[in-house]
Formats: sequence, C-alpha cells, structure tokens
Amino acid sequence: MNINQEQLRKAIVSLAVEKALVTIGRPVYEKTIKQLSKDYNCYLPECYEHPEYLNKVLKKIFGNAHVTIIDAIKKELDEQIKDKPIAVFVTAISE
Amino acid sequence: MMATFFGKESVKVVTDFAYIPVTAAFVILSIIIFLRFKKTGNHGKAWLLFLGTAISWFIAETTWTVYELVYHLDPFPSAADVFYIAGYPFLFLFSLFYLKPFKKLISRKMILCASIISISVLIPNLYMTVNNNSDESEFAIALGATYPIADAIILAPALIGIFLFFRGEVNFLWTLLLIGILFQVIGDTGFQYFTLDNSYYTGHPIDILFIWSYILFSFGVYSHIQIFKKSDKISEHNKLV
Repeated sequence: MNINQEQLRKAIVSLAVEKALVTIGRPVYEKTIKQLSKDYNCYLPECYEHPEYLNKVLKKIFGNAHVTIIDAIKKELDEQIKDKPIAVFVTAISE
Repeated sequence: MMATFFGKESVKVVTDFAYIPVTAAFVILSIIIFLRFKKTGNHGKAWLLFLGTAISWFIAETTWTVYELVYHLDPFPSAADVFYIAGYPFLFLFSLFYLKPFKKLISRKMILCASIISISVLIPNLYMTVNNNSDESEFAIALGATYPIADAIILAPALIGIFLFFRGEVNFLWTLLLIGILFQVIGDTGFQYFTLDNSYYTGHPIDILFIWSYILFSFGVYSHIQIFKKSDKISEHNKLV
C-alpha cells in the first residue's frame, strides 16, 4: 500500500513538473529531462526523492528566472499540499 | 571592407548582396527553432513572432537591394522601410511572450531602470533630428528618427531578459540580442546622422553594425537550437513513464 502511495506521489509530482514546463514550451520540458539524465542520471519521477536535482537543472537552464518555474510547480501541487511528503517535496525544491 | 578599395559602386553591390544571405540564414535558423517549439506554450508563440521579425527584415533587405541595384532608385525612404519597421513589433511581442512565464520576477523598479536606459540611448538621435539643417524631406527625417525609437522600445525587454536569465544557458540568446540591438541603435543613429549630412551611401562603415546585428541575432537563435535540440534520451524516458 505504501509503495503504491509513493508511486502515486511520484506520478503527481512528475505531472506537476511536466505541466509547469510544457506551459513554457514542450522543448523546455524535454531539455529538463535530458539535463536531469545527463547531469544526475535521474529520470523525472525520481525528482520526487531528489528535488535538489530539478532545482539545479532549472537554474542551469534559466538562471535567476528558475524560481518562477519552481513557483509554478508548487502552484500545480497546491491541492496535494496537505499530504506531508508532497509538502516536504515542495519545501525541498525551493531550497 | 575589401570592397572599399574598389570604390563606392563596388562597395554598394557587395554590401547589398551581403545582406541577403545573412538575413536568409537568420530566417532559416528562425524557422528551425519555430519548428522545434511548434507553437507549444508561450515560447512556441514567441518563436513564431521572432520568425515574423526575421522574414520582415529579409524582405526589407531584399527590397532595398532591388530598389538600388535593379531600379537604380534611392532606397530610403521606400517600401523597404515598411518591412524594416514591421519587424520591430514582432520582436517586441517575441520578448513579451518569452518573458511572460517569468513575469512574477519582473518588478516595477526593473521596468523603470530598463526604460531609463532605453530612453537615454534616444537622446543623441532626438538632438540630431531637432537641430538639423538638412535638405532631406520632413518625411525622411521623421522616418529616420523612427528607427532609434523602435530600437529603444525593443532594448527595454532585452535588458530585462539579461537580468532574469543571468547565469542561465538561455542568457546567451539574450546577451546576443542585447548586443545586436545596441549595434542597431548605434547603426540607426549613425544612419540618421549621415543621411542628414548627405554622406550616407550603401556600404558606408555604419552598415557593418547592421550586418553584425543580424549575425548576432542568428547566433543567438543557433544557441537556442543547440540548447533545445531533440534527444534520444526523451524517447527512452517516455518509454519508462
């Protein structure tokens, strides 16, 4: 049951990241995935456990402006924020 | 530069023909980046508008060459100006759409600083336009003054872009756009000065700035093509998700 819940959270986080990035442009989403894989050998669902990777990759691509993308991801996760592990992810991605 | 040794006629022909492949390359690169984004998201729309700028300026340069080399007419003012001017709203809208996802970071102070810098680059041009004793028509003088104004308008979002994307990979595009726009500001101010002075001719050293601005814009687009190029990693990832 716990494993399933974790998988569900990973999917929710992945979808939130995808939605936030595709709003900018699909190639932006694709570039982020590529960079995560290149720099950290990490796939998007694994960012749930390593939000710092996603933060660093977005910063590498967009510099100072990466914080607005982080905000957009947080906004996408607003409805799930009551779920503690999601809240932990949201806090960690901002650091 | 070499053509200047063979007289003004040679330099005119060489310069006119140099603009066409340079702006054609600019159009081709803009088409490539537009096809990569395919109107997806704000940046997709932004690149469609950028393509509008590239096409407008390519048509403008071709029209200028046709006026000068085919019809042997003075290309300023002419139909070419319609296309030169048309490129500016497209470029301004490109900047707006590109920066839209990051608008939360754009403060009033930032807009004010960018506006002050942009307005300050207009001062030499406005001074020249007001205090001129040229025999050029009022329309030509007003048209010549329009370009630095349009440059100043597109300079403001470019300055904001540099600040927003500082230390990011996409900042290379904004740096090249900013330098290219600054070249255009100097080029257009110089064009106005030498036109009022009756000493401008196609191939004048000031034209080097315009050619370089197109080259810088093209390299900026090329850097984006490289950053956002398709990768096999994506299909691999999609299989896993």
